[in-house]
Amino acid sequence: MFISLRAWWPYYVMILPGIIYFILFHYLPIYEAKLAFENFRIFGDNIWVGLDHYSRLMTSPVFMQVLINTLIISAMKMLFVFPVPIFLALLINEVRATGLRKFIQSAIYLPHFLSWVVIAGIFIAALSPSNGAVNDIIKGAGFAPISFMTDAGSIRWVLVFSEIWRSAGWDSLLYFAAIMAIDPQLYEAAEMDGANRWQKMTIITIPGIVPTIATLFILNIGLFLNAGFDQVFNMTNDAIRDKIDIIDTYVYRIGLQTGQFSLATAAGLFKGLIGLVMIVGAHNFSKKLTGKGVW
Amino acid sequence: MLRKNTSSFERVEQILILSTLFLLVVITVQPILNLLAISLSDSSKVPLMSGLTIIPEKLSFDVWAILFQHPRVLTGLANSVFIAVVGTILNVVFTALMAWALSRPKLPGRRILFIFVLITIVFEPGIIPDFFVVKKLGLIDSYWSVILYKMVNAWYLIILIRFFEEIPNELIEAVELDGANAFQVLWLIVLPLARPALATITLFYLVYHWNDFLRPMIYFNDQDMWPLQVVLRQFVVEGDKAAMVGIEAMGNYDGASQINMRSLKAGMIIFTIAPVLFIYPLILKFFTKGTMSGAVK
Repeated sequence: MFISLRAWWPYYVMILPGIIYFILFHYLPIYEAKLAFENFRIFGDNIWVGLDHYSRLMTSPVFMQVLINTLIISAMKMLFVFPVPIFLALLINEVRATGLRKFIQSAIYLPHFLSWVVIAGIFIAALSPSNGAVNDIIKGAGFAPISFMTDAGSIRWVLVFSEIWRSAGWDSLLYFAAIMAIDPQLYEAAEMDGANRWQKMTIITIPGIVPTIATLFILNIGLFLNAGFDQVFNMTNDAIRDKIDIIDTYVYRIGLQTGQFSLATAAGLFKGLIGLVMIVGAHNFSKKLTGKGVW
Repeated sequence: MLRKNTSSFERVEQILILSTLFLLVVITVQPILNLLAISLSDSSKVPLMSGLTIIPEKLSFDVWAILFQHPRVLTGLANSVFIAVVGTILNVVFTALMAWALSRPKLPGRRILFIFVLITIVFEPGIIPDFFVVKKLGLIDSYWSVILYKMVNAWYLIILIRFFEEIPNELIEAVELDGANAFQVLWLIVLPLARPALATITLFYLVYHWNDFLRPMIYFNDQDMWPLQVVLRQFVVEGDKAAMVGIEAMGNYDGASQINMRSLKAGMIIFTIAPVLFIYPLILKFFTKGTMSGAVK
């Protein structure tokens, strides 16, 4: 044992910086999260208050609204964003000319690499009631312009569409890779039997990517409470905040903006703990179902 | 007869599929081209320009001239480049070192170390504890608060470990028998073989640093430390014109007060994404390959 450790020491030297990093930036914060059970004091030690902040959260109408918003926005994304890349991959697979297909893919992957600050800027411009592209079309069709970014009825749909705009292209890559992995002989056999495009898609392609769909669906369920901090943070404003304020933006707002550190930590830890149960559950379920876990 | 019918039907299908995809390409690219066109148009024309156009009206480089001499934008650019370059170098070095060691199947304690890393993936206590740790480490208003965050990204670490594991063990053992130590094997054998995977995580990290706005916003009180994303956010998202034009500097730029804000915002957005567009061909080359070979996101 001692000899083997001596032989392995260069490897532990290599791991050491990483270990120190994980301890400082991931394990120390877990320790600091004890603030959720304390009252924060600028001078002197914090005072232990147990679950006081949690009873405050659970009786707070604002936090309840935030919780509901998180669930609604996540559910909307699950319903309306999740299927888009699947259809996209199926469509792209029907493009036979390789050059044209590469061009289409290059274009639709791009938004994935833009920050939400940039995307918010792009959407604010494109949805502007005075001269944004969308309202220019609406006005051209003879309707009154809509101020989407400040309209309580539309803002959640703005989140759905901007999420599709950003991620549907890139996410289609995963499904496309799954389609490419399907045995070409299956298609050849189907063609010999006289199958048309539609039959090949429904009988071979779609069943071929069902495991990928299942894995990603389960992963998304595991990450359900991550309704999209960067997105909401950059698209929110006073007019519609109560419609899209989610747990993460609430934590930022009451913690770093109004200085209620303990309450904010409690809310963040609440999300972290439920998220932990959900992602581990998703991993185990995925492993049982498809043999492939989340990590 | 029957054959001819199906083929014309297939042609209609093909046209439908292609036009749908073409429409999606337009929806993706047009908003960016529109902003570029607006930033290149004369300020007198901008107020009446439609969001649908992609052609500049009365070509003018006024906005770009302002951006390229604007102190906030130039320091922002320098800060972004500094954080992205230093951050990415540290990321790649320490991720590769850790991945190489953890990819050795017989490393004592390997399983425990894996669990040690996985815990950080499944449990995140939130941004407030992060903030207090950075504060206690004395890193507020230091570039290190931003550079060191995600120094080893657990997901990329796992991707790299999986890649290193595929390198044939006989090859590694043969070099070890020749007397090479762990560092030499990594440098001479593993890294050259893993070049596509390394390129992929390098670009992942680079884009991550370039697009990060939250941590610099939280940890840098000094505006001179702000990267481009934070400057852009202040100006375009928060609508803080003074942050961009500067109350005291309003008259200092030639015609700054006449510059159309819509045009300046559009230019600023394009300015911020230009470096991403610049490395995008590389991204396409490596990311798509990396993702194709099974490394999920």
